[in-house]
Amino acid sequence: MAKAIGIAPTRMELLKLRQRVSLAQKGHDLLREKMDALVIEFFGIVRSIGEVRVKTMQQLSSAYRALSICFAMQGTIETYQAAREARKDVEVDISTRHVMGILVPVMEAKPVERHALARGYSVYATSSALDEASREFEKALEILIKLAELEGGARAIALELEKTKRRVNALEYVILPSLKSMVKFISMRLDEMERENFSRLKRIKAMLEARE
Amino acid sequence: MSFKIATIADAETAAGFALAGVQDVYVHERKEETLAKLDELLASEDVGIVFITYRVAEELGFDFRRRMRTKRLLPAVLRIPDKTGWMPKVDELREIIRRTVGAEVIVKGGS
Repeated sequence: MAKAIGIAPTRMELLKLRQRVSLAQKGHDLLREKMDALVIEFFGIVRSIGEVRVKTMQQLSSAYRALSICFAMQGTIETYQAAREARKDVEVDISTRHVMGILVPVMEAKPVERHALARGYSVYATSSALDEASREFEKALEILIKLAELEGGARAIALELEKTKRRVNALEYVILPSLKSMVKFISMRLDEMERENFSRLKRIKAMLEARE
Repeated sequence: MSFKIATIADAETAAGFALAGVQDVYVHERKEETLAKLDELLASEDVGIVFITYRVAEELGFDFRRRMRTKRLLPAVLRIPDKTGWMPKVDELREIIRRTVGAEVIVKGGS
């Protein structure tokens, strides 16, 4: 009741407080709905992240295997040389979409798999192991871009979810109870004044009757 | 809009991504230089995705995590396993879920 001491127990104040309570309640309900929607969206993404991750790990490990074979067959220096020569022009289209007012990235890979002649290194000087490794890495890159999109989205949504949850909890456990306790304090105080007044009137009436 | 892709990794992994056509490939050697490079990538407007291997990210440690917390939406930073397939046991995404939902969540079919 410590907070209630600062306010004047008047009818005006009571009306104002009731309004604030209903506003806070409305806000709380809205935020709660937002949180539910976010949770649904979030778990949709998390589920597909699980699937894509498994695929990524498989593709990456086969890419690394192909690369190791290439290192072994063709020699380390030659492979690094080819990597330096390779044409580097992969780009990714990124736009954003809105989920409950949050920006979530949408990434679209332009076709990254290339023809062996389009890769930029000398086909004559390199072995087929290098082509194999390049192809595997291009495939891996495509899945990795997909994974980056999902994880970026999950991250954005999770941060918003955390914020929303904190707000919901603040309203539910701090602001609403304190407002309600203030309302209770004022209405009890007003009732008490009413009763005082009533007994005062009774007493005055009795005194007036005794005088007559 | 088109964005570039960047990779920060050890020499072998970097070579692989260079073969796939990734434009900005940086080979991690020393922590300070890699951090400077990472800052540059995070600040640049035309980089869309940064791939960084778990091992490098782990080596950068707290500095990396702090940058992840404060970064903008783009570029997205994705951590990938390197050629040894090593991954930390604590999954960051799962950690976020635990913090927000307040419970460990196991999604069917997930890793």
